Amino acid sequence: MLVSLVVLLFTGPAGAMDEMIAASASALELCIELCAVYAVWLGLLEIVEATGLSKKLAHLLRPIIKKLFRVDNEEVEKMIALNMSANMLGLGNAATPMGIKAMQALDKGSEKATFPMIMLIVVNATSIQLLPSTVIGLRSNAGSTDAADIILPTLLATIVTTICGIFFVLLCDFVSKKFKKGRKSK
Amino acid sequence: MSIYILPVLFVALFLYGFFKKINTYDTFVKGAKGAIELTISIFPYIACIMIAVALLRVSGVTEFLAKLLTPVFKFLGIPPELCELVLLRPFTGSGSYALLNDVFTQFGPDSYISRCACVIMGCSETIFYVATVYFSQTKVKKLLYAIPCALLASIFGAIVGCLLCRVM
Repeated sequence: MLVSLVVLLFTGPAGAMDEMIAASASALELCIELCAVYAVWLGLLEIVEATGLSKKLAHLLRPIIKKLFRVDNEEVEKMIALNMSANMLGLGNAATPMGIKAMQALDKGSEKATFPMIMLIVVNATSIQLLPSTVIGLRSNAGSTDAADIILPTLLATIVTTICGIFFVLLCDFVSKKFKKGRKSK
Repeated sequence: MSIYILPVLFVALFLYGFFKKINTYDTFVKGAKGAIELTISIFPYIACIMIAVALLRVSGVTEFLAKLLTPVFKFLGIPPELCELVLLRPFTGSGSYALLNDVFTQFGPDSYISRCACVIMGCSETIFYVATVYFSQTKVKKLLYAIPCALLASIFGAIVGCLLCRVM
């Protein structure tokens, strides 16, 4: 941000303020849209919670979640299970409130991110998308003859990103633990 | 087919709620109430990140970086025309969709470059946006290795995706 402001000082100082306010306005617009989306999903989520479905889903995904995130807390497991299911359905905006809830449940007041938090971010940031619907929509709008032919390569690439992401996190965790141990023994 | 999945799931959920004798209306309202609070608390974070992205684009810093990174992208097998898209994708969802549209109009939606762009969009996420919003409600200040891992993984995905586009 600072770098670009400094560059702007030389190239076109008049535009900087306008640009910042325009960006903030579009952030507000986005938030209003998000608020509507969250209202629908949080309302449905409450029903899912009340019916006990989330518990069942968490139970179903428990072996994976326990291994991957190393958590042992029912509330967190439930939220992560819902977050992952929403992500796989391509509902990124529905996944967000559940992800935030999981983060809050994981928060222990420490300033450093813990392993399950990092894993949750990376899994979300590299989420497996079964149907890239927005991209396909844009592409067919642009006049593509076969807009859906990118589904398969996208799916394969997204599996690669998720596996890589998980692998990198495990690797970093392993290295940082080794590092800590090494310092302690000295 | 896929347009039926969500509505059917909702109907099933409400029916299940009745079956379990839950007051679905009250429960829904109770949950939906949290939406405004949540949106207000994440707004400053979203505003900040969007302002930063706007400045990066207007000032031409991204263009400069894209030029600088062209040889790297060539080496990795990612079309250098997509530099800007790859650079901005982790920050902004709407901005990168706009860029994707530019690519479509410039190269035609069925070209190799456009297909690569689609795959890159599909297999990556707005990493910085996700990280800011998710951590905004916690006390965490240090993300340690979260961002580098996610970025590295999505670059891997982009490389593999561009390779796949060549054969598929």
